[in-house]
Amino acid sequence: MRPQTYSNVADNSGARESMRIRVPGASNRQYASIGDMIVAVVREAVPNMPPKGSEVVRAVIARTRKGLNRDNGMAIRFDDNAAVAIDREGNPKGTRVFGPVARESRECHFAKTVSSAPEVLR
Amino acid sequence: MASDSQAEDEEQEDALLSDEEEETEEEDEEDNVDVDVLSNEEIDALMKEYGNVVRSDPEPRKSSAEDANADAEALSMATALATAANEVKAVDIKLFHVKPLIYWARYFLIASAFSMPQVNAIVGRIEDIAQEQYGKIPRPSGKPSGWTLMDFDIYTAGDVVVHIFLPSQREFYNLEEFYANAPLVELPFVSESSSSSTARSDAEGESEEEMISLS
Repeated sequence: MRPQTYSNVADNSGARESMRIRVPGASNRQYASIGDMIVAVVREAVPNMPPKGSEVVRAVIARTRKGLNRDNGMAIRFDDNAAVAIDREGNPKGTRVFGPVARESRECHFAKTVSSAPEVLR
Repeated sequence: MASDSQAEDEEQEDALLSDEEEETEEEDEEDNVDVDVLSNEEIDALMKEYGNVVRSDPEPRKSSAEDANADAEALSMATALATAANEVKAVDIKLFHVKPLIYWARYFLIASAFSMPQVNAIVGRIEDIAQEQYGKIPRPSGKPSGWTLMDFDIYTAGDVVVHIFLPSQREFYNLEEFYANAPLVELPFVSESSSSSTARSDAEGESEEEMISLS
């Protein structure tokens, strides 16, 4: 996922779409993949809910169209780019995640996202 | 060979037939292996002799016996951690058997604590018990916060996941509703409920009072 990439927000935090700005903690890192934390700006939000359009949030990438390759040779690709909004400490902002999540999020210290997810892909 | 020359003299079909017959007679004792059709045993034998494992699954499926062992171990660890949390006065401790629902964990231990220092105390206690009794270290997952999560592995998939909430966070995330289909496991103690502070088992109540009087 590159900067300026739009992604769906896959939780009920109130944001609908977000646009990736940066990957925090690295000076000029170009790509963020599943399980990476990104800084994004909310582009579209559900009305009357906390995140407003143009609010900067942190998010964890849950799904990407590019997907990822696993050690056992399996490759997973999704139909959309999706992220889950989190706060600075890594707690998800919404209570539930929508859609499947790859298990890599858990290995990248975001097990809370995985706990709220309806389906975790092996 | 005399029989071969005889076959050549005959018509084409007959010649072919007799040639085959000749071959089968000559190769009577060898396996008449037609490469297109190998039986399973033959394939296994070839694999055993010449086969090379290039890459194996790092998470092989466990046999049911191993799985049962892992279940028992996970259950004992989960109850030990629940007891540890209870000793640090966590409330509303619930142990869910989530294995039927999700593949990446067997048990969820959910507990509430009233303050961040208490959360830290519970985390420390649980880590100590896991380390001493089971040799497990939780997977690193950030600083303790309103929702603190500790992920313990028994095999490659995490088996016991401990969630420690502040009461407001517990209501907000409502994991119990999300995993409502998971059966609750009975714990060997009566967990204090956050709603009524007087709901304590007798033994617990007595020991508490003794501690207060001593301090």
